[in-house]
Amino acid sequence: MASHPHPGPLPTRGRETPTSLFRLKLPTLACPGGAAKSPSPLWGGVRGGGAPSYANGLGKPLFRLPILIAATSLLPTSAFAHASDRGHVLLLPTGYYLLGGAVAVAASFLVLALLPPDLPARLWRGRLPLVEAGEGLRFAVSLLSFAGFAMLVAAGFFGSRDPLSNPLPLTIWTLLWAGLVLVQGVFGDVWRWLNPWYGPWRLAAGLLGPRAPMRLPARLGCWPAFVLFFAFAWFELVDPAPDDPARLATAAGLYWLASFVAMLAFGYRPWTRRGEFLTLFLAMVARFGIVERKGRRLSLCLPGAKLWGVAPLSASGIAFILLALSSVSFDGLAKTFFWLGRFGVNPLEFPGRTALMGIGTFGLGLTFVLLAGAYLLAVWLGQRAAGSSIEPGRAAGLLVWSIVPIALAYHVAHYLTALLVDGQYAVAALSDPFARGWDLFGTADMQVAAGVAAGAQSAWWLWNVEAGAIVLGHMLAVFVAHGLADRLHADAGRAALSQLPLTLLMIAYTVFGLWLLSTPAV
Amino acid sequence: MTDRKGFFDLSGQRLNRRTALKGLAAGAGLAAAPGFVRYAQAQSSEPIRIGFQAHRTGIGAAYGRWYERTTNAAVKAINAAGGINGRQVEIVVEDDGTDAARGAEVVAKLTNQHKCDIVYGTLFSNVVIASAPTAGELKVPYYVVSEGYHVASGKLNRWCLQPGITDVRAQVTAVAPWIAANAGKKVTMVFPDYAFGYDHRDYLPPALEKAGGQVVAKIAIPPTESSFTKYFPQIPAGTEAIYHVMVGPAVLTFVKELGDFYGSSGPKLFGFIDSLEAVDINSPGLEYLDGSHFWEGSPRYAQANDSEAEKAYRAAVGIDDNGAAVGDPKDVSTAAHMFGCWETLYVIKKAMEDASYKGPQDRAKLVEATEALTEFAEGPEHPQGKKVFNGKIHQVFGSQNISKLEGGKLNVVHKTAIEDGMYEPEADYTTQPL
Repeated sequence: MASHPHPGPLPTRGRETPTSLFRLKLPTLACPGGAAKSPSPLWGGVRGGGAPSYANGLGKPLFRLPILIAATSLLPTSAFAHASDRGHVLLLPTGYYLLGGAVAVAASFLVLALLPPDLPARLWRGRLPLVEAGEGLRFAVSLLSFAGFAMLVAAGFFGSRDPLSNPLPLTIWTLLWAGLVLVQGVFGDVWRWLNPWYGPWRLAAGLLGPRAPMRLPARLGCWPAFVLFFAFAWFELVDPAPDDPARLATAAGLYWLASFVAMLAFGYRPWTRRGEFLTLFLAMVARFGIVERKGRRLSLCLPGAKLWGVAPLSASGIAFILLALSSVSFDGLAKTFFWLGRFGVNPLEFPGRTALMGIGTFGLGLTFVLLAGAYLLAVWLGQRAAGSSIEPGRAAGLLVWSIVPIALAYHVAHYLTALLVDGQYAVAALSDPFARGWDLFGTADMQVAAGVAAGAQSAWWLWNVEAGAIVLGHMLAVFVAHGLADRLHADAGRAALSQLPLTLLMIAYTVFGLWLLSTPAV
Repeated sequence: MTDRKGFFDLSGQRLNRRTALKGLAAGAGLAAAPGFVRYAQAQSSEPIRIGFQAHRTGIGAAYGRWYERTTNAAVKAINAAGGINGRQVEIVVEDDGTDAARGAEVVAKLTNQHKCDIVYGTLFSNVVIASAPTAGELKVPYYVVSEGYHVASGKLNRWCLQPGITDVRAQVTAVAPWIAANAGKKVTMVFPDYAFGYDHRDYLPPALEKAGGQVVAKIAIPPTESSFTKYFPQIPAGTEAIYHVMVGPAVLTFVKELGDFYGSSGPKLFGFIDSLEAVDINSPGLEYLDGSHFWEGSPRYAQANDSEAEKAYRAAVGIDDNGAAVGDPKDVSTAAHMFGCWETLYVIKKAMEDASYKGPQDRAKLVEATEALTEFAEGPEHPQGKKVFNGKIHQVFGSQNISKLEGGKLNVVHKTAIEDGMYEPEADYTTQPL
């Protein structure tokens, strides 16, 4: 049955702005892998007339949707704004959590500043060997994964029209995007095996020869992946119907095909590291997983340990990681009453995604620009405060790795409920992918327990898990930044000083993340 | 009441969500699905295809889930009893994302691409209003379960009908006499400052005055508001009852702050359960509601005097005595509204039988046959109670329940007469050409 402060002035393009500094000095290294009106008058209210304002003390709406709102207020209407589980969260003492989260992140910084500067590095070196495992099955697993993907795309076209019964949207949005990202972040690079391009590419390369006919220009960096990730985020967050099975099947099928062609043209390795955004993102996230593979040996390590020795990212790599965080942040922001109120949209009479495409596109871009600006400014200020002679671009390229655990934490916080409920729908749908009455896994008729995420009790523990993830993610980010700063600065005092602005940004982002989870939202 | 027609004889089979709804793989007839084999044996013709414009995603999803379950249960029961005109019923689900613009697309898709006979099931008013013109252009009967006054107002078109749920104007009008007689004659209204709230603001005062009461203050709350204490001093001291229709996530905060404001005293409260559909009435923060009264379309909690039809309906849909999903007590239903899906499907069945409906060529006859209906008797097809249908304004009228929250449950204390909710019709769709 659905606000961000008014955007401040964007950085000007002066010589002193971080933007210009990084534009001039960024290294061209490859990407990772190596990478309202006030309450109506008592008797007032407009019936069928002008659109009321919903900003309510939040300032004037930036824009209005006169046609839309006129259309929905011309006629009497019923409202089914579901009280929703956010209602229970609104009753929790979330203000204390915001304060506690900020204090916890600040305390992490202070504690780290007092401890030996090489502590993260020493902790990160520890390994607990597990087993030896070859990669012989990788090819076969990838082929199987491709077959599964092809079947899902077919189900998107020919299976049920209901997005909660068709396995394609449930697999892509819930199991893959909500679920696999977490698996990668907690454990490690599972996607390396599941990647549905690797097997087919090996087959094709066997036929066509191993040499790629074209070279991906180095100057492009990871920008192709950045553009594709932006398109993906737009599809997920702004497009009117990303859950529609046929629409998603078209998008996913075409993306697979285009990526496959690009892999044949430029080679598997270059394209999966600089062009195919999903593999690049999952590889970045996997660097925080606790399982490390070196040769045939699998070992356990601490979260973030695989960052030791990581190369600084290029400008495009920095942008890519920041986009990963800004897009998931916007996912939360776009649903808040605050954001909708900015644009004169009544959240209780939420018009649907189609009417908000312009606002959504603007917001997705805006959150990226604001985050990128804030991050680069924080790094630049830190380097300046520490009197460092290191190029700010190099520092930004290295420290940006500390953003990844925050992005992961936001991911947990924003997709946990979907994972719990839609995950059940996925298990049921996969058992009968074409709605033919099959029961492949014996789960086709399972009752989906939507109550798992409903009610005050669930709201309480979901809030605690989500808030805990946000705070822990930021504490880990401070830890990672501290460890990486030690590589940039010989002097421990300067290393700590250089981290101060970034830590302040992380504290602010902790509060922002907790606020997103606790403010009224659709 | 006996189940002579076998409405609820589901042969002991557990409701299978796939059989009725999941179905309709694109381009593939459901008759091929094993779940339909036993029905297919008894039929020789193609199934009747009902396009379900469902809020599967978006902000209406919680309602959509229960509208789906109710629809599924009704179709299962209809098919088990022989279908409609000897043909099985097949539901084709298309998600509209609770998105007004997509709503119109979905109506077109269900009609043109999926070759549905009719379109049915829409809840959210903005989707109904945006979809109605498309239904009119395509000349496809569009049966909504929306509760809005938009159908009866005459602002839509002849292809739009609401025969399974009463509209908000009738609901407000029906409860006013009870409020004046039992809760208090001096009433302060607290409502959200947009169209939904305006329906209440506009229809309650005249009905209350007619019953000897008076609205002494109307307090409109901005929709984005999340703290309400500052509005409470506007409630006049002489207020005997507060009529509240707040909706959205801040409802719990509203109730809690109202309780904090008044303590153990204060005016009596009367609300619409719309505020708390799908929410456990015993949630923390709602304590102040204890002893207050609510409008309910159909009671959430099982009542001591429930008819056999009501009991069977609840069992078929899968809700327990507390109105939550059987086996999942935290999944509270939207009981006050979702019965409308069940009853609408039975009206469609009756109208199709009266029109001897054979296919899309008979769509106009189907609309006329629906318009010709006048009464629906209480029973398995209409477990919520008897209904009166006005074919001119395409709107059904029925009893409303007034329930008292006591002992953690909502107990029905008064059932209004159908006449209590009737008003002077403002339209006549039958004059429009088909």
